Amino acid sequence: MQQLLNGLFIGSIYALFAIGFTLVFGILDRLNLAHPAVFAASAFIGIELVDAAGMSIWLALPVVFVVGGLLGLVIERVAFRPLKGRPDAHFAGLISSIALAGMFIALLQWRYGPGTRRFPADAFPDTRFQVLGAQVTLLQVAILVISVLLMVGLTLLVGRTRLGRAMRAVAENPTAARVLGVNVDRVTATTFAISSALGAVAGALFAMNVNSAQLGMGAAIELKGLAVIIVGGMGSLPGALVGGLLLGLAEVFAVQYVGSSWRDLIAFGLLFVILLLRPQGLFGARRVREV
Amino acid sequence: MLSESTIVFIALGAIFAYSFYAVLVAGQLSLGQAGFAALAAFSAAALAPDPREVGDLPALVVAVLIGMAVGAAAAVVLGLPTMRLRGVFLAIATLAFAEAVRILIINMEWTGGAQGMSVPRVVTPAVAWVCLLVVAYWFWRQGPSRYGRALEAIREDELAARAMGIDVGRHRLAAFVTAGVLAGLYGVLWAYYIRLLAPEDFSFSVAIDGLVTAVVGGSTMFVGPVLGSVFLTLVPEVQRAVGIEAGWIRPFLSGLLLLVVILFLPGGLASLIRLRPRAPQVTGSDVGSDREGLTRRVHPEPGATVVRLQDLGKDYGGVHAVRGVDLEIHAGEVVGLIGPNGAGKTTLVNMVSGLVPPSSGTAEVLGVEPGRTPPHEVARAGVSRTFQHSKLFPRLSALQNVLVGAHLVSRPTFLRRLLWLPSARRDEQVALQHAARCLDRVGLGDKARVTASALSYGDQRRLEIARALAADPSLLILDEPAAGMNAVEAERLSELIGSLARDGLTILLIEHNVGMVMRTCSRVVVLNFGEVIATGTPEEIASNETVIEAYLGRAEEAR
Repeated sequence: MQQLLNGLFIGSIYALFAIGFTLVFGILDRLNLAHPAVFAASAFIGIELVDAAGMSIWLALPVVFVVGGLLGLVIERVAFRPLKGRPDAHFAGLISSIALAGMFIALLQWRYGPGTRRFPADAFPDTRFQVLGAQVTLLQVAILVISVLLMVGLTLLVGRTRLGRAMRAVAENPTAARVLGVNVDRVTATTFAISSALGAVAGALFAMNVNSAQLGMGAAIELKGLAVIIVGGMGSLPGALVGGLLLGLAEVFAVQYVGSSWRDLIAFGLLFVILLLRPQGLFGARRVREV
Repeated sequence: MLSESTIVFIALGAIFAYSFYAVLVAGQLSLGQAGFAALAAFSAAALAPDPREVGDLPALVVAVLIGMAVGAAAAVVLGLPTMRLRGVFLAIATLAFAEAVRILIINMEWTGGAQGMSVPRVVTPAVAWVCLLVVAYWFWRQGPSRYGRALEAIREDELAARAMGIDVGRHRLAAFVTAGVLAGLYGVLWAYYIRLLAPEDFSFSVAIDGLVTAVVGGSTMFVGPVLGSVFLTLVPEVQRAVGIEAGWIRPFLSGLLLLVVILFLPGGLASLIRLRPRAPQVTGSDVGSDREGLTRRVHPEPGATVVRLQDLGKDYGGVHAVRGVDLEIHAGEVVGLIGPNGAGKTTLVNMVSGLVPPSSGTAEVLGVEPGRTPPHEVARAGVSRTFQHSKLFPRLSALQNVLVGAHLVSRPTFLRRLLWLPSARRDEQVALQHAARCLDRVGLGDKARVTASALSYGDQRRLEIARALAADPSLLILDEPAAGMNAVEAERLSELIGSLARDGLTILLIEHNVGMVMRTCSRVVVLNFGEVIATGTPEEIASNETVIEAYLGRAEEAR
């Protein structure tokens, strides 16, 4: 039971991170490899907000959300918009976002140094619950609740609102959307902002969960995020949620029963099998070939 | 500033980048190279004889051979199941493979686990650069060969490449195995230079570095990876030389430079080098006047059955796009296929050319069964086509587009080009002449060097015809060639089709311009709601009640 819950907590963070990844891919057909850098940056920023500015962690999270959104706007503006209309935009977008990610990490190193940072000791409430015989901290519950709320909010946003409709229109056909009066540039920028904001909250939550932040933390989760969005289906929001939770659970149980050195193999084994058996992922739609 | 290790690292980085270049030229994004390199490096280090016993060079040669073989084998094993994946999916699948390999190596006994293996240093700058030169030579010779062009065509438009008779699966796998061999070479050279071989040497970030090197250098010209490696290896060295301290500034500037290159030099550093594409002087008069050096096709006798469709049908879900079509086309005929929008014309020719398998009925075209036979085999049998929406290879020149069209009738030249055999040059010349004549035939002789995407719309349509013509087809399918043309252009096109027909070519022409069909075709087939409603000579069709009804509607139908 304890393992199951631990798997859910870490899985919900994976899901939140992956959902930002998959949002940009699903709507704009671009893989944003600066996403992990946002993840790492927000962890450091969150710690600084609590540590230096003395904010409570509950207040720090919305601030991190906003900062993440701003970073998303920067990423879109600098790494993706200039490539619009180029035939190799796919490759070039990968490279330019990697370059920008490198710059973000370098700036983090300048501001915070290369070492590990932690939250101050008294930052977390130490309320604990007993759930079906397992120990759960308030923090862990909060992580799960915040992640799920954000993901539900995003699903509603995409499914029910005017902005969401515009996003779906851009995903289907950007040119047609533009002709019909959708401001494609603005929708694109907004998508990046939302995606990065979610990634930022995921980063801050991750830092809370393990109480540390390192420069390499984004790179470590990047591969898992990719695995999650493939397993769930590229561009599928519910897929990313299920995929993230699945990965979290699989990892926790792998450590329990197989040994920790094999933990990371789980994600890739799972990913590989899914790609071969069902390339569109668990929730993805197969794209029809165009003749 | 140029220490020995810098010189070696430039060479090694470039070789690794070539393993990405090998698949990027074919439009594949693979990140599995780090896995190939890791497998190769550890196998070679474990299996190859000790340099202290057999001498440095023999030991290295054995190790390199082991590494290349392991790399190739790994590429085949990974390639066979993943070759149907595209784009990002392929990248992530191969990445997963590489990570799995790394974790396996960490957990194995014989590899020394996370500590890695100690390997004697045997690689010198000279060895590294000789290897690099051999690899660069390979790609220099590959570029303008038939094989190289086929890979480029696959990168530009896979479906069109297939329709030109290129076996896409085999070519993609070949490119992938090349990447595996090169990654294996890199892995072994790295192992025998670095002294302590660790699984971390082949991590995700290393794979990304390789990809970045290839793209920054330029993934469309063979010198790209070398330029990329020089650039990316020297940036930190220059920074150190001008006194920038280690820390955050160096990675920041590296990232910034990378961003600038990728945003402002779309073709990578190699695009700074401008090569003028060759355009040969046309000798000989017309298409087919000089077939020396081209593969001869045996065309069916006039009057022989070229296409036989029996009860052919295609359903999409519940929609019957084509239903119960019986049709025969004989050699030398020019058959017009007309019908309102959505009548199923394009679906029908997609089935004839093998791109879409029929749901019912049988099709037999030039002795093969499209639908059961892959499209490139149908093309090999002598079917060549154009597409309703132009499917040119946009970044290739007009001449190169046509050269790809000549894939089936020209001879493979890559291996002979590697050996610098004069016959390869002769065959390339023949193919160039043939392509240039095809361009001339459609009136694009003076636009040979223009990039296909820069041509006007009408020229693009004519270029497609030239490309289809270059395959020396027995059956030419033209899918709405005049769509979007003005009256003058359409008239010239009509004359072109007429002249092709007079040469005895069998043509299936889909067209909305009924006047053009009536002028050029010997027989007209009318399709409506997926069914043939009339066949006959143009005169018969023009006076056919059902056809007029289908096109204009009936008065009492206006409910």
